[in-house]
Amino acid sequence: MKNLFPWLLWFVISAVIAGAFFYAPLAQGFIGESSRILFFHVPMAWVSFVAFIAGGVWSLLFLFRGRKPKDDRAAAAAVELGLIFGVLATITGALWARIMWGAYWNWDPRQTSIIVALLFYAAYLALRSAVEDRDTRARLSAAYAVLGLAVAPFLFFIMPRIMFSLHPQSVINAQGKVEVESRMVQVLLVGSAGFTALFFWIHNLQCRIQALSDRKSAL
Amino acid sequence: MIPPLVILPRLHFDDVRRRFGRLSVLTGVSGVVEPGGMLLVTGPNGSGKSTLLRCLSGLLAPDGGTIEYREMDGRLLDAAERRQRVGVVAPDLAFYAELSVEENLAFFARLRRVPPDRGLAVLRRMDLPLDRMAGALSSGMRQRLRWAFALLHAPRLLLLDEPFQNFDAPGERVARELLAEHLADGGLAVVANPSTLDFDHAERLDLGR
Amino acid sequence: MRNASTWAAEATSVFVKEWRCEFRTRYALNTLALFAFTTLVVVSVSLGPLGVSMSQGTAVLPVLLWVILLFSVAAGLPRAFVQEEETGTAMALRLAATPSALFCGKLVYGLTLVLALEALVTPVYVAMTNLTVVSPGLLAGVLAAGGYGLAAGSTLVAAIIAQARSKGTLFSVLSFPVLLPLLLLSVELTRLAVAGSPPGVALPQLLLYDASVTVAGLMLFPAVWNP
Repeated sequence: MKNLFPWLLWFVISAVIAGAFFYAPLAQGFIGESSRILFFHVPMAWVSFVAFIAGGVWSLLFLFRGRKPKDDRAAAAAVELGLIFGVLATITGALWARIMWGAYWNWDPRQTSIIVALLFYAAYLALRSAVEDRDTRARLSAAYAVLGLAVAPFLFFIMPRIMFSLHPQSVINAQGKVEVESRMVQVLLVGSAGFTALFFWIHNLQCRIQALSDRKSAL
Repeated sequence: MIPPLVILPRLHFDDVRRRFGRLSVLTGVSGVVEPGGMLLVTGPNGSGKSTLLRCLSGLLAPDGGTIEYREMDGRLLDAAERRQRVGVVAPDLAFYAELSVEENLAFFARLRRVPPDRGLAVLRRMDLPLDRMAGALSSGMRQRLRWAFALLHAPRLLLLDEPFQNFDAPGERVARELLAEHLADGGLAVVANPSTLDFDHAERLDLGR
Repeated sequence: MRNASTWAAEATSVFVKEWRCEFRTRYALNTLALFAFTTLVVVSVSLGPLGVSMSQGTAVLPVLLWVILLFSVAAGLPRAFVQEEETGTAMALRLAATPSALFCGKLVYGLTLVLALEALVTPVYVAMTNLTVVSPGLLAGVLAAGGYGLAAGSTLVAAIIAQARSKGTLFSVLSFPVLLPLLLLSVELTRLAVAGSPPGVALPQLLLYDASVTVAGLMLFPAVWNP
């Protein structure tokens, strides 16, 4: 089963790409083919969010369940991947914003939230690179990650109220109304699941690589 | 089966290991200190004497091995409790330069929730003026303040790293008296890097390679 | 083992020690005040003579006030922990102090610094920018609650970076994302205070933020402080 998983993933992601371009209809109210990018942008933004939570949870586990190095490795890997997916989500979002609204950046709540998430990731990684001792590094970055987890939810409640939103309220909604375009939903859901699985697969690889690297430096 | 009699307080550390990056400083160090006993840790520079003491005091977590310290109630203390129970003299122990000697001692006494009397008594024995600013102390006087700090809360275990550093003859004499009194009272001591190695009745632990 | 009343005495003695050292060196007060007033002068000179319309003023001035406060705090507060590590007194503290009492003592010290800063800066700022505040009571409340959040967040982040390298830049990098919700809420409430509108849902959210950061601080500080 383990050996099958990468192949399964390959198949799912390919299906998502194909589905994004050939299976799902174009969203109304969107310029040209530009809505296609959403099938990648939304899952990646979603994964970035998952990474944030995962990093926080592993950090909590590290601090309060025995300071296991594998929890620290998992947290760091989650944040690194979260940064990559977050940057990709930001770029795809900005490209799409340029097409739709003429400007790459509009400071609406979702764009601001992703930027703040990126700031957290970058801060976490900057902290890790500033501490030499392995145990201290794990401890301090885990504490920071949990602190981030504690304050970040506030942003989700504050932002929408403070800023006027240009972001489509519900992205899966093609016409800005309540009804839902089923094919788009299918591709989006499969895409989100696929990208999430991709995240955990790469995360697992990264943790194993880091574990080997740690063991090597201990010799 | 009747368990062997264990007299308290007692320090027992086993297979203590500590690495810094690629450098293995402690590679499985063990030892026991019984009441009234002193363990003298010897070895060349860089052999891990200070590291061992820091692990024993709870200021540094070892990578492996166990450190068991029990006081009179027989309970095993964890690292955080050990850290607050032991008396430490170390070369990097520093005090607040803007506060006087007495103010420093009073502050740490309040933190330890004990009256400052014992520390003040040590300072009087060592002839250190109480109103001098800690930042204006000579290195020998700073060492006296370290001893006062270490003995403030009447610890049962003393961990002394370079205990007589910068002392003049009178200072060292008083410090040795204090150590002897502590041991005679049933206390434990682990000593590293003393100026001379002439101690009677001291167990030795050599970390040399 | 250790009862509550002496825990409070411990925290108080940390607080007293901080202020005693501070009065003898005046380092933090000088840094905060100097930074705040320099920024304040820059802001007022840029806005004042050039003139700013009333509506623009209410939009912009609250933001600038909090920017001044944020950067002054970043300049002066981290020292509370950084200096302990750099002068080597942290070792004695680790041996003698109860972590939670130490954290609270430092936090209250940071809070009093921030409140003192706000008390100094805000009246001057309001005067220099000709800002009319319709609800001064709400403004005072926002400064208190927002100031607390600044102090609490900064104290914990300071404890974290004190054990790392490049502490100056690292503090700003780490604290900004953490303090962002606080700043947004405080700016919003300051705007409402200036305009005389009711605080609405923002005030409970600010207080909730303060509570969250405090709980997080108390929970995380022992892990940050102890090896």
